[in-house]
Formats: sequence, C-alpha cells, structure tokens
Amino acid sequence: MFNEIFIAPFADMIAAPDFLLQVLWEGLVSGILYALIALGFVLIFRSSRIFNFAQGIMVVFAALTLVGLHAMGVPAWICVLLTLGVMFVLAVVIERVVLRPLVGQPDIILFMATIGITLFLIGFGEVIFGGENKVMITEELGIPTGSVLLEPFGGLLILEQKDITAVVVAALLVVALLVFLNYTRMGRAIRALGDDSQAALSVGISIQTIWVLVWFIAGIIALVTGIAWGARAGVSFALEVIAYKALPVLMLGGLESIAGAIIGGLMIGLLEKLFEIYWGQPLLGGNTETWFAFVLALIVLLFRPQGLFGEKIIERV
Amino acid sequence: MKHFTRLAAAALAVTVAATSAPAQETEELFVPNLAYRTGPFAATGIPLMNGQRDYAQMLNARDGGVGGVMLNFEECETGYNTQKGVECYEKTKGEAIVTQPWSTGITLQVLPKTNVDKIPVLAPGYGFSPMADGKVFQWAFNVPGSYWDAASMILKYISGGDLGSLNGKTIAFLHLDHPYGKEPLPFMEAMEKEHGFKLEPIPVGLKEMQNQSAQWLQIRRLRPDYVVMWGWGAMNAGAITEAVKTKFPMDKFVGVWWSSHDADLRIVGEKGKGYKAISFSRPVLDAPVLSDLEDYVYSKGDSLASEEERQGVFYNRGLVISMILTEAIATAQKHFDKAVIGPEDLRWGLENLNITDERLEELGMSGMVAPFSTSCGDHTGHSGGWILEWDGEKFVQASDHLTPDSEVIRPMEIAGAKAYAEENAPWPVNESCDAQAG
Repeated sequence: MFNEIFIAPFADMIAAPDFLLQVLWEGLVSGILYALIALGFVLIFRSSRIFNFAQGIMVVFAALTLVGLHAMGVPAWICVLLTLGVMFVLAVVIERVVLRPLVGQPDIILFMATIGITLFLIGFGEVIFGGENKVMITEELGIPTGSVLLEPFGGLLILEQKDITAVVVAALLVVALLVFLNYTRMGRAIRALGDDSQAALSVGISIQTIWVLVWFIAGIIALVTGIAWGARAGVSFALEVIAYKALPVLMLGGLESIAGAIIGGLMIGLLEKLFEIYWGQPLLGGNTETWFAFVLALIVLLFRPQGLFGEKIIERV
Repeated sequence: MKHFTRLAAAALAVTVAATSAPAQETEELFVPNLAYRTGPFAATGIPLMNGQRDYAQMLNARDGGVGGVMLNFEECETGYNTQKGVECYEKTKGEAIVTQPWSTGITLQVLPKTNVDKIPVLAPGYGFSPMADGKVFQWAFNVPGSYWDAASMILKYISGGDLGSLNGKTIAFLHLDHPYGKEPLPFMEAMEKEHGFKLEPIPVGLKEMQNQSAQWLQIRRLRPDYVVMWGWGAMNAGAITEAVKTKFPMDKFVGVWWSSHDADLRIVGEKGKGYKAISFSRPVLDAPVLSDLEDYVYSKGDSLASEEERQGVFYNRGLVISMILTEAIATAQKHFDKAVIGPEDLRWGLENLNITDERLEELGMSGMVAPFSTSCGDHTGHSGGWILEWDGEKFVQASDHLTPDSEVIRPMEIAGAKAYAEENAPWPVNESCDAQAG
C-alpha cells in the first residue's frame, strides 16, 4: 500500500510526462472555469452579503438565451449583446422586485430569496426555451473547434482550441474585473460597500445601483461560463450542477476574496484532477472528483475557518 | 413562444381533464407517467415522454381510448429524483392501473410497495434485470428487454458473435454512478470471468457528467479495445464530446439504448460518425401509425414535440412504450370481457402480451420493435434489438436483429430474483409460475 500511495503515482508521472501535462492542462481548464463561477458568488457576497444560490441557474439561463435567440435567426454576436441586455434586465428586476423589499432583513432571508429566484428561472426558462439539449453556437461565435496536437517528451498532448479560448477569455475577464474593481469609481464603490456598508452609504454610494451592477457582472460571468461549458456538452438544465463545483472553491478561497476564488478554483481544478488520475482511479475505483474538493476544503477550514484568503472576523464583546 | 403556446395548451388540457375527471371517474383508465421534463436529465426525458403522450392522445382522438375507454395520461414530475418519484407513486397509486417510474432508482424503491398496493410497475428497458422473473416479481415488467439483455447484445456485436474472441481484450465500462449505471455490472463481470476479457468500470458522477476529462484520461491511459457506455442525460453528450476530443475511434464505442439520443449526437455532428448504440426500438419514418399521429395529434397542434424531435430514436421509442402499455390494456379487456379494468387485470394483460409481426402491422408499427411475448415466468419478453449507428446526422440501423444470450441470462435472472426475495423476506412468490420456463 505504501508503494501504491507514495511511489507508484510519482513513478507514473515520470514515466509518462506527456500524460502528466495532459492531466495538468485538463485541471487548469476545469480550474479556471470553477474560478469563474466562484467569482460570480464572491462579487455578490462582497457587496450585499447575499450567498447567491441562483448563480448556477443564471449560467443556464444566459446560455439558453444565447442559443434561443440564435435559433430565431439572430446573428451570433448580436445574440451575445442581446443576451447581455437580458442579463441586465434580469439584474434590474431582481434588485427591484426581490432584493429592495428585503433590505435590512437577515442574511438567511436574502439567501432564501435567491432560492426563489432559482426556482423561478428554472420554470421560466423551461417554458420559454424547453428542456431539450441544445447545441452551443461555438463556431458561429468564431470560437475555433479544432485541436492543437503537441508532442512533448515524444508523447502526445491534445489541446482543444475551444478550451484554449475558454482559458484565455476567462483569464481576460478576471483581469478586467480586477481592473474594474481596483481602478474605477464604481468598482471602488463595490469594494467600499463590501468593506463597510454603513460607511459606504453615508458617503452617498447607492446600494441599489451597486446591487444592479454586481448582479449584472454575475450575469456576464454566467454567460461566459455558459458558453465555455455549453461548448463541451451542449446547453441544457444539466449545466446548473456545474455551480455546485464552486462551493468547495468558496470554502477554500473564502467567500469574500476575489483572489481566493481565482487561486481556490485553480487549486481545486488541478489537485482534483491529479488525485483522481494518480490515486483515485487506481486505489478507489475513480469518481473521486465528486468529493475530493470538499474534503480538501474541509481540511483547510480546520486550520483556517475563514478560508485561505477570507478575512478573519474579530468581534468585540 | 412556441413552447409557451404548447405548454399553455397542455396545461389547459390537463386542467380541463382534471376538472372533468369526477364525472368520468369510472369511464377512464388512469395511466400516470412519472415523467421528468425538468432537471439535469430533462433533455433525454422530454422526447420519450412526448412520444408516450402523443400515442395516448392519438388513441383517445382516433379510437376513443382503448376498448372505448379514454386514457387519462397524466404526468407527475420527478426530475429523475428518486425521492420525488416515490412521492409521485404514492400520489398517483390510488386511481392508477399502472405505475411507470422512469428511473431504475425509483423502480427499486417502489418494487416492494407494489406487492402491497397490487399495482403493476411498467419499466420498459430499465429497472432491475431480475424483474424478468415473474415468479418473484409478480408486479414488475421490464419489457421488451433488460439491461442484461442490452449488455449481452453489445458483447455479441463487438465480438462478431464469438464471445471467445474477446479473450485478452479490454472493455472500459463507462457508466453513470447511479443504480441505473451499475445495473449491468453483475452480468458484465460474469462475462469477464467466462470469456477472459478485462472489464474496467469507470464511474461518472452526476456533477461530472459534463466534464468527463478525468474519465477519458483514464480511457486514454488504459487504451481499451472498446468503450461500452451506460449513460443518461448530459452524460451522453459529455462522453461523446470527450471521445471526439481524445480521438477515440468511434466504431469501438457502443452505448446502451438510453445513449442513442439524436440531440446528444448533434452536438458533435460529423465527428461522432460511427458511434453505435444497441436499441430495442428503431424509428420507421414511413410507418402508418405516423400518418394517424399527423391526422389526430400533430395537425391539431396537440403535440409538444418539434418536427425534428419526431424523427428521432427517443420519440419513436416513446410511441413503442405507450403501444406496449395499451396492448396490455387491450389484452386484459378482451380476457376479462370488460372495458374498465383495474391494476390486477392489467397485470394479467402485461403477463400475456403477444406482440407479433401481424399485430405490429395491424398497429401500423411494423419494424419499430421486434416481436415478443411475455408469460407468467417471463416478464421481459427479451425481444432483442438492433445496433444503431450515428451517420453524422441521424441514427441508422447498422446490424441485423440481435438477440440476448438467454441461456446465460435466464439462470442469472432467477438467481438474482431469488437472492432479492431472500434479502427482502418475507417476499410473496407466485408459486403457480414456472420461472424456468420463461
């Protein structure tokens, strides 16, 4: 057993370095997409203390809107713009109809409200778009669908062009978000609201505007995530379960940390893939990805209850 | 909007049916379907449910139901969730003459209840394979084929009929990590021992259905001679996408009948050319029954299925499944000489099905399913099936009619049923049945 746990996996890595690179690449792709979903949660939590249970269904809704509009004959890039418009309207409606009346209510009430939003979007989405699996308009959006074949160490490394595109777009989106949050007035307002909502309100920051903004940004993230995941296996309500993969990322990285979401997502993506391939499949029969990330996050929480990058809350009594 | 209009019409129809139900209580046959049009598996459930629903609607419109009694074909939404499925069973069992659980997990949960409630479980092509033994599973019917039948036919096909030729080969068994996905494992493991191939089970979790890169990395590492898939919902499309990505030869990739959904393959299109699946049903697009459906359902705007969906394997399978149920109803009506039958009568009908070539022709469904018959001891019928192949645009027939290896499967079914009855003792057994004869 010692050999199987501590020696054989590393021997396998050395014996087939091209395969190890493939594992790392797949982990990186998964990780950056997990990070993207987690960012949607973090942005909303930072600015409103709401854990947005609807983030998963927003991914489905955005992707369905995109392919649904295209099915009606609208050109692909116009569909993207119109989908962004729909996500903006959704953000406004959520703020006006759901969140505004609940200002000042306990966090759990707001959380329950996002469950309500989820259920509404599931029903509404199914009525409008149907539940059938739809093909993502990958090629129409100009996303290449071929493969890049490399031969590192005399082996084979397959990089899907759509995965490369997803990594690049996700990375650009993350950078853009960081620039927006750090160097723009609205971005600083979002951070200020997250740091101290009372102080932020006292200097004239509009909570309504900020909430619409962060829900819209979460909508943009949902659209990018929906395109990336939908290109892999089609667009259906099954995409919703992808959001659950963000939960251990949030536990690991902390609910309030943008850096935590990014690094936590990448860590989980890479580590769960390495563990599954070199330990999970040979020793445990596989399918360890369903629990590995949660176990990893729980171990981290044992030592850092606020997550790797979360803020330690000290309350004076 | 088209969906909205259709759903609104369907909702109105259900409402009208529900409000008029008390007046017609004794004049209809309540055949609920534990459907899933929502959730992660909706994409594969919808065409099946639409096919079932349309066939029942056609009979109601054309013939006034079955034997002159209208069918009340109501759906209870489960989302493919076992707990919700059991709730639906409890909710509908009062008036129902049958329960159609639409999930192996739900079937396993309701199996013991049906002995008490005395209501037949119709699980066409799914459920627990030993349900074939009618001596033990008096109320369960997995016509016209079980998962062990499907596994047997796949092995027969990939071995070219000589299972000995699989000796020394590796078969990766990619399956949903769910009771459904695990169901064929006992049979596959028995075949592994007998024929000397190496079976590599590769589970796919519900949350990993759309990201199977780890599973396909394992397949790349194992270099199996064949991949056999027991996929469902988004898992099918996820697996086929990864197979294309890892350049696994499609002609070595065979799925069960629930992995033969046109919409899943459309995602990869041409790149999925050569992928195969076993199927107990096949679309026959010039079948006379489709003309009747056009006249009595489609032309009136009563179908929820799109024209493209109606050409597909799953929609046509839905038609076959409803046909099997309504033939059982007709058989029972004739035998008991009454139009309004109860669940116990229907059990007899399901146990005495005789779907012959002639009968299929009369129904306008020749070739859509192979002939089969059931008996007291055989609740499956073992119709066999065909290999369907994706040609880049649609599934086409790629083999002659295949039959499962009954000599191997039957003793396993009887042993499996016996073990189940012992584990769930006291379990009522129909001693008048001769299961061996099944």
